[in-house]
Amino acid sequence: MINAVKNYIGSLFLFELFKGLGVTGRYLFARKFTVQYPEEKAPVSPRFRGLHALRRYPNGEERCISCKLCEAVCPALAITIEAEPRADGSRRTTKYEIDLFKCIYCGFCEESCPVDSIVLSRVYEYCMEENGERLIGKERLLELGDKHEAQLATDRAEQAKYR
Amino acid sequence: MTDETLVTIEVDGRELKARPGAMLIEVTDAAGINIPRFCYHKKLSVSANCRMCLVEVEKAPKPMPACATPVANGMKVKTRSPTALAAQKGTLEFLLINHPLDCPICDQGGECELQDVAMGYGAGVSRYIEKKRVVSDPDIGPLVATDMTRCIHCTRCVRFGAEIAGIREMGATGRGEHMKIGTYIQSSVDSELSGNIIDLCPVGALTSKPYRFQARAWELTQSDAVGPHDAVGSNLYLHVRRDKVMRVAPRGNEAVNECWISDRDRFSYEALESTARLKRPLVKENGKWRELPWDEALDLAAGMLKGAGAGLKTLISPSATLEELYLAQKLTRGLGSSHIDHRLRQGDFRNDASPALRWLGMPIAEIERLDVAVVVGGNPRKDQPLIGHRLRKAAMAGASITYINPCKFDLNYGADQQVESPAGMVKRLAGLAKAIGVTGELVANAVVDDQCKALAGQLKNAGKAAIFLGNIANAHPDLAVLETLAGRIATATNAFFGFLQEGANAVGAQLAGAAPHRLPGGKAAETQGKNARRMLSDKIEGALLIGADPALDCWDPSAVRQSFSNAKDVVALTAFRTRSLESCANLMLPIGWFAESSGTLVNGQGDWQTFAGAVSPIGEARPAWKVLRVLGNLTDVEGFDYQNSAEVLNEVRAACEGVSLDNAIGEGCLDVQFKEGPLTRIGYVPLYAADVAVRHAPSLQRTANAADSALLRVNGATARIYALSSGAPISVCQGNGEAQLMVCIDEGIASDCALVPAGLAATGGLGPMFGEITLEKD
Amino acid sequence: MSFKSAPMTTIERRADKGSLFTPEIRAQIDKWVAKYPGEWRQSAVMWALRVVQESNRGFLTPELMDNVAAYLDMPPIAVYEVASFYSMYELKPVAKRKICVCTNVSCMVRGSDIVVGHLEKRLGAKLGQTTPDGRWTLKEVECLGACGDAPAIQIGNKYYENLTPEGIDKILDELE
Repeated sequence: MINAVKNYIGSLFLFELFKGLGVTGRYLFARKFTVQYPEEKAPVSPRFRGLHALRRYPNGEERCISCKLCEAVCPALAITIEAEPRADGSRRTTKYEIDLFKCIYCGFCEESCPVDSIVLSRVYEYCMEENGERLIGKERLLELGDKHEAQLATDRAEQAKYR
Repeated sequence: MTDETLVTIEVDGRELKARPGAMLIEVTDAAGINIPRFCYHKKLSVSANCRMCLVEVEKAPKPMPACATPVANGMKVKTRSPTALAAQKGTLEFLLINHPLDCPICDQGGECELQDVAMGYGAGVSRYIEKKRVVSDPDIGPLVATDMTRCIHCTRCVRFGAEIAGIREMGATGRGEHMKIGTYIQSSVDSELSGNIIDLCPVGALTSKPYRFQARAWELTQSDAVGPHDAVGSNLYLHVRRDKVMRVAPRGNEAVNECWISDRDRFSYEALESTARLKRPLVKENGKWRELPWDEALDLAAGMLKGAGAGLKTLISPSATLEELYLAQKLTRGLGSSHIDHRLRQGDFRNDASPALRWLGMPIAEIERLDVAVVVGGNPRKDQPLIGHRLRKAAMAGASITYINPCKFDLNYGADQQVESPAGMVKRLAGLAKAIGVTGELVANAVVDDQCKALAGQLKNAGKAAIFLGNIANAHPDLAVLETLAGRIATATNAFFGFLQEGANAVGAQLAGAAPHRLPGGKAAETQGKNARRMLSDKIEGALLIGADPALDCWDPSAVRQSFSNAKDVVALTAFRTRSLESCANLMLPIGWFAESSGTLVNGQGDWQTFAGAVSPIGEARPAWKVLRVLGNLTDVEGFDYQNSAEVLNEVRAACEGVSLDNAIGEGCLDVQFKEGPLTRIGYVPLYAADVAVRHAPSLQRTANAADSALLRVNGATARIYALSSGAPISVCQGNGEAQLMVCIDEGIASDCALVPAGLAATGGLGPMFGEITLEKD
Repeated sequence: MSFKSAPMTTIERRADKGSLFTPEIRAQIDKWVAKYPGEWRQSAVMWALRVVQESNRGFLTPELMDNVAAYLDMPPIAVYEVASFYSMYELKPVAKRKICVCTNVSCMVRGSDIVVGHLEKRLGAKLGQTTPDGRWTLKEVECLGACGDAPAIQIGNKYYENLTPEGIDKILDELE
């Protein structure tokens, strides 16, 4: 009975409305943290798991030795690798394909890689317009690696002590 | 063995019974107690040099190697005590010192004994920070890849070479840190069993070259198969990835192939992906081949077969599956013809009237327990490598082995090789028969020399003796006489009498009735058709070729050429598109081969071994039994409503109920028909030319065994008569055919004979495997 | 490496053994062959190699080792194994005088490093090398069995023990 009276009085004087406006008013004068994407960008952790890349050694030699551990560990079965001996006898991939729709960005491939070849970069801005584009091949992955190598190398160096 | 003679030992608190003199590791293996090991292998001698199997034996001052410690009564062994574990851990640390950490690029990674043992018994982290050694890799041929830095010196490969393959080409040179396994001087390991060192190597030092970097162990699914090339019927595992056979490994079966397989069975899978595979039906129109869809092709084929009707001639490979052989004969006979044969390279059919259902005559495993063996016209080392291995085992155990051949073969054990010309072989066998006391017209006139007498004595006095006819005898124009004589000798001496037949399913072919004189179940046919040789004696009008490449697989290629020239209505069911087949056939239907089809193969000792298909056939190819089934439907032959190959098999099984294999020739034939000319050809099919699939396996064709096959071999005396010099090119003429070969002087060849290989494209234009030839210098 | 306790099997024994080596060498090898049971011809391999090496200016070639293998009915690789294992067999041409320096534990503890250093400096050749004038070969060997008087070297058939740089100079001067 008493509660019913309280509710009636509260709704009559729009008490809830002013309470809400109070919150709005407080944030109107508080420090702003909205990021104006895409003009502005939020900071990204060095451990961020974005688009994949294949790295190279400083002398230009691709790191991947096609051990297929990433293919084996991938819980989403997103990686497909084919290998054969290169002309110089070394073990190299002839096909390295990641299905971006299947990938769950868990980072296990990076964890399992014995030569730090496959990595998840900080890149999170990518989109596809056609279905086939979800498969990214070795060429594209190496290209991504070349493009972001500086960032990738610093990130790995920074995180090395925690791994 | 009675209980009293066994000794009792205690391992980890468990009481075990063991044969006195057995090594500890054999006893624990039998009891399922795991002791880590690298150098020990049950089929090889004990070398005890890896020291991984150290275990604690009570009252012994130090840990003992289980592989080299004989059991003794009351022995108390601890395999997991702190002392044993410390010894194992220490050994492993030393083994890993020089082992590279390259598991990610090693083909053995994932199936490596060293990886497994390091996981189970090793320390987590290495304390070794010094430099590791590096060893250069010898090139030991096109089959085995080497990475000798990974070698842990278990010497299994060395012992395999010395004890199993019988050619000690690998060894451990150098000392201590500088010790390395290799051939010292650059040479390839040329054995018909060399691939087994890939399985033996516990690390990744010796791996398969064709399989190099192709797949990882965990990607492969395993399915069973049976060796498709010889009468051994080796049990195989196929390792398949994404519908493609990646490699072949042995499946242990003590009664057949033990734990080995021949290189031919191991590496012939490469032919599955050969560029010569036929992927779509093809028809010849005005001399050009045109692709056509299956339904059209089948209608066309059915029309051709129906048109041929009672004149249809069916030639089928002796390596075809039982189901294919059965359906082929059912189709042929259903169309009113009885001309079907699988004995493509047989030289003489006069014993067709005999009731014999030819087989090995004894279990394969018993061969190694023989005291005396006589091989007439054959080289099992190359033709049936694992039967050759069993004979070698017998020889090593003291058996005396005698060969009666037109040439001396390179054997891996000591044997008495009696070299006779083809006609001389018959005479010698007759001499042997006479020495034993066999009667008969031919035998009565035979000359008995000391060698015959000695061999006769051996056969008579042997506890267990056998006489085998091999591939050369099979192609001999007097095969009937050889068979009859050998059979009588065997009966008189109570020896086993066996056939080392060509193809993987020669026994099955007889059981399925794929012969002009046999019905299913091996029953004698009432209306005998033409045999493989007579079919080729006149023009072909309507033929069905299954898995056979007549110009290379038949006894007389020139007869094939003549009878098939401008032949009409020739339907070929083939897995491979070859030039010689193109010249014979009018319509080619692609079929699956080996792993691509289910089926059954009956090996020499009569085991029915059924296997399922492991991969789907290439392109639009279909399993041959399905193609035959549809052809049966389309030609309105009764009883072709099978749903699966098992139904076909059941039908053959029912027909073979109560049938037993028997080599008794009966009356036989002692009428010698072969006359030698001034220079006689000895046709021999080299190891890697045996069938169309082997001829399309690239790695096998690169081996030294294949490379030195296209040669004309004569002995020095014959070479002088014809003024031949080693290495010179020569034209060989036979009938109206000609072949270009290189001369090789080989003192092992009978005089006035020349070994001219068969089954090769180079000699595909010549005449019969045995016959007169002339030589022309360019 | 240990195998079955039986002679290594040979498929075909070389029949024309008389055409191998000179009669004198054959006589010397036969003397050693005679010391072992008939089927154990192979046991004479070490002496046979030694005899053949001495007849060929102190080193063995693959052809010579093949001949030894044929003469003793062994697989050639088994002879290579023996020849490459023991340090007294030379597989490359050597100088007339060969200095074998022991660097195993006892000698090392007693200063074989100094001995090696001094020899290398004086001769101008490293371990395993022959001097530019072709007179000396310096070789590192495993234990000479002279631990009691380490450090030791062997020149020809003679041992020189308790070495010091001065001692070495004296020995070499005498031999020069």
